[in-house]
This record gives sequence, C-alpha cells and structure tokens, in this order.
Amino acid sequence: MQLPRFEYVRAASLDEGLAALAKHGADAKIMSGGSDLLVNMKMRLDTPRVLISLGGIAELQDIEELPDGVLRIGAGCRLTDVIAHPGVSARFPALRDAVAAVGSRHVRNIGTLGGNLCLETRCWYTNQSEDWRKARDGCFKTDREACHVIKTASRCHAINSSDTAPALIALDASVVLAGPAGRRTVKVLDFYRDDGVQHTILAPDELLVAILVPDDGRRAVFAKLAQRVGLDYAAGSFAASLRGPADAPEAVRLVLNAVGAAPKALTESERLLMASGLTDEAIEAAALGARQSLGEVTNLFTPSGFKRRLVKALIRDALVTLRDQTA
Amino acid sequence: MGKQLITLTVNGDEYELAVASHHTLLDVLRNQIGLTGTKRGCTAGSCGVCTVNGERGEAILSCLSLAVEWDGRSVTTIEGIRQGGELHPVQQAFLEYGAVQCGFCTPGVVMSAKALLDVTTSPSEDQINEALAGAICRCTGHIKIKKAVRAAAAVMRDNEARDDG
Ligand SMILES: Cc1cc2nc3c(=O)[nH]c(=O)nc-3n(C[C@H](O)[C@H](O)[C@H](O)COP(=O)(O)OP(=O)(O)OC[C@H]3O[C@@H](n4cnc5c(N)ncnc54)[C@H](O)[C@@H]3O)c2cc1C
Repeated sequence: MQLPRFEYVRAASLDEGLAALAKHGADAKIMSGGSDLLVNMKMRLDTPRVLISLGGIAELQDIEELPDGVLRIGAGCRLTDVIAHPGVSARFPALRDAVAAVGSRHVRNIGTLGGNLCLETRCWYTNQSEDWRKARDGCFKTDREACHVIKTASRCHAINSSDTAPALIALDASVVLAGPAGRRTVKVLDFYRDDGVQHTILAPDELLVAILVPDDGRRAVFAKLAQRVGLDYAAGSFAASLRGPADAPEAVRLVLNAVGAAPKALTESERLLMASGLTDEAIEAAALGARQSLGEVTNLFTPSGFKRRLVKALIRDALVTLRDQTA
Repeated sequence: MGKQLITLTVNGDEYELAVASHHTLLDVLRNQIGLTGTKRGCTAGSCGVCTVNGERGEAILSCLSLAVEWDGRSVTTIEGIRQGGELHPVQQAFLEYGAVQCGFCTPGVVMSAKALLDVTTSPSEDQINEALAGAICRCTGHIKIKKAVRAAAAVMRDNEARDDG
C-alpha cells in the first residue's frame, strides 16, 4: 500500500503546531510517531490534505518527575523511552507493563504515548485495505449510516485498542490539552467518548500535550490477551488499582478496554470490591458482573463471544494478582 | 505537495535527495537510492521485513516512517553492516545455522537481531523473543533463527573480550 499525497508541515514548536492546526482545521491531521496514522492513510481511512508533524517539538518529548510526585510524560515520548525511564519502572510498573504490551519493539521505537492514547478505533471491517472494504458498502466510520459488525447499531462501535489507556485510567492519570484558548486538564477516563467515529473529546484545533500520572499510593496491575504476544491488538485488556489494604480498600479502580469505542470503568464491580474487599467470592462476582455489563461487543480479530468469556477470566486473574501483591 | 530536499546518511554515505512528502523511508531507500536489500512486505508494520537501524541502532520500520522526517539523520541498512569486508557476526551465523529459507524476511530479521545485540551481547531468551517478535518468518519457524542469534551473540562476546584483553 502506498500513502496518498498530502502537504507536509513540520512544527518546530507547540505554538507552530497549534497555528498550523488553526489554519488548516478539518483538512489537517496530526502525526506524532505515525505508526497508527500512516497505516490508516494507506488504507484510505484517512486522506488529510495537510499532515502536521509533531516530531520536531522538543517540549513534547520530556519525562519529568514533578515535586508533588506527579510524573509528567510529554505526549511525544516514544514508548521505548517511557519503558526505559527509571521513574516509570520504579513507581508505576503497571504503566510500564501496559506500554511494553503495545505492538512489537519495532512499533514501540516509532510510536508515542500521546499517539497511543489517541489511537484510532477499529473493527474487522474498517481494519482492512480500501480494496477489501469495497466488497461492501461503507459504514459510519467511512461514508454511510450503517454498521457491518453490529447490524442494529445506530452509531459506530469500533474498538478502542489502546493498551495504555486502561492503565492510565486505573492510575487516575490526566491529560493536558492545548488549544487556541489555552490549556485544559481532564481525567483520561473523561478524554474518551463512546463513539467509534469521534472517540475523544479533542476539539479539531486542540493537541494532546502531556500525560500526568499522580502518585497517591495506589498499586496497579495491567493484563492483556492478544493472539500473538508482541504484535497484535488486544482481544481484551484490563487494568486495576487499589489503595489501602486488600481486605478493606480505600479506593478501587477497574478499567476494561478493547470491548467498545471507549475504555470502560467497571463502577458496579468497583463498589462490590469496596464493600467486601478482594475476597475470592467478591473477585468472582466482580468479574462476572463485568461480563454481564458489557452490552454489545464488536469483533476485531476475535468474535464477541470469545471476548466476553475472556473478559471474565482476565479480570479474575488480574485481581488475584493485585490482591496477592498487596498481601 | 512538491518535493522537499533532505540530507540523509545511509550506511555512512551522505545523500542529498528531493523526496515527495508521501514517500516513506522504505520508498526512498529502495527506489531513489537503489538499496533493495530492505524489503517491502505488508507495508503496515506487522511483518518487519522493512526493518532498518536508526541513529541509536534501534529497529525501525522503514515502511511507517516518512522520508522527510529523516532530514539530517542517519540510517543503517542490511547493505551497511559488513565489518571490514567480513560479514557481520549475525549474517555469518544465519549462514552457518541455515536460518534462512526463502530469504525474504532475512534482512529485517538480521537488522532486528543486530539492534538487540548492539545493546547486549548476553541477551536472555525473553529479550531475544521480544526483539524478534516484530519480524516474522513465514516459511518456517524461529528456531534456527534464534539459534543463529545466540551463536552470533557468543561470537560478539568473544570479539569484545579480545578487544578488551
Ligand atoms: C503492527 C502494529 C501493531 C500495533 N499494536 C498495538 C498494540 O498492541 N496496542 C496498541 O495500543 N497499539 C498498537 N499499535 C498502534 C500504534 O502503533 C500505537 O498505538 C502507537 O502508540 C501510536 O502512537 P503514534 O505516535 O505512532 O501515533 P500516530 O500514528 O502519530 O497518531 C495516532 C492518532 O493520534 C493522533 N495524535 C497523535 N498525537 C497527537 C497529539 N499530540 N494530539 C492530538 N492528536 C494526536 C493522530 O492524529 C492519529 O489519529 C500497533 C501498530 C502496528 C503498526
């Protein structure tokens, strides 16, 4: 597959990037590492007239440990560099595990954390070349009010496969967004919308600048199952965090991804574990409750029935690991 | 949408090139410079046959990297890893262990293995698996490939010991 033609703009600073975005608006697309965007452009899912590269913006590529314990990761940091950072491994092993679960080493040498959070959603129909897709009419994500995966759908259910999103949500992280009117900081969970076509709250003139990970004493775990370890998108991914003792938690956060257009906070199961602690029975009930709360699940490489069964096992095993780590 | 002038160093040689913005590093290496050792496979990052080594020696997918982004930078391809006229230890080991079947994936696998062994010549099994997971052989399996990588590591360790001693 060859790339479509476009005009290339390399921003030397954040201000230049924002100015280019303001000028070209909906005609433009942002590129960080390009490992997601260029594939989608080759498949003609995206054909921007202008491509704005953030690769030359040094201020997006820093990792800092702030005095209040917050780890600030620039959106343009390569995944390999996030893994190698001593503060990440020492203080946020679940984040390191999630970053290390993204694609292959080759992909992580190109891909960035900001790009991973903004990762385009996919389903088995859209994640194909243009020629393949032409065998059928389009869908919500391309050019038609229809869905080939969930036939009764009234919107796009393409799957959010970001591995780092659930881990960052479990860690209560935030993202810093910059636009013409200034900056805003939102929780990673609130960054997403449950719509495969417009799956983040980013305005067309906004950029993701940094990720803020607070250190409030939570311990966290990340788990993923994919067909080929070290290459494929998740069939299911899950992150959980716990503050306080496992039998009397002060805070519990459970987040599932790769089941719908947005990462899913399992609030019912969280309440259950808060009330009874991480006992075997409560863990089983939390995992089952999560499975039952799924609603319609989109197929991406793995049928939705498999995903449902997987979700329960993934959650149960990860919660046992989290509890035993804490004990 | 015109072309852009870039300076790109490939295997130590500097090239001045007018590249189209939509051409990847792979396109330019193969079609403009004529170095066809780097292969074009899935063109979507999944197979690893287009792997080259970036400035830090890291494995890079040249099919998912725009050539214009390489202005002023340097890259090493399979054609550039011979050392003083001799095959690189990884290449030599692939020959000796028959870690090649049709050969199409070989340049990418060799560049992926080299990226690992440039960082450590005593890689663990997990590190070898991780380094090679993005470079896929579709003919056979990775058993002989991994044997060759371990053998190359041993040769490189010996070379290091000799250089130190
Ligand atoms: C073979 C292969 C396997 C993969 N496996 C996985 C996997 O297992 N898990 C996974 O999560 N991902 C996977 N990916 C997808 C991708 O490589 C990673 O998600 C990567 O982290 C994306 O980062 P990037 O910088 O390359 O993104 P880009 O391609 O540069 O951008 C991705 C999207 O985010 C937008 N964007 C990027 N940066 C910003 C910003 N600062 N502000 C606003 N918008 C922005 C872009 O416009 C684009 O829509 C895989 C990719 C390949 C090719």
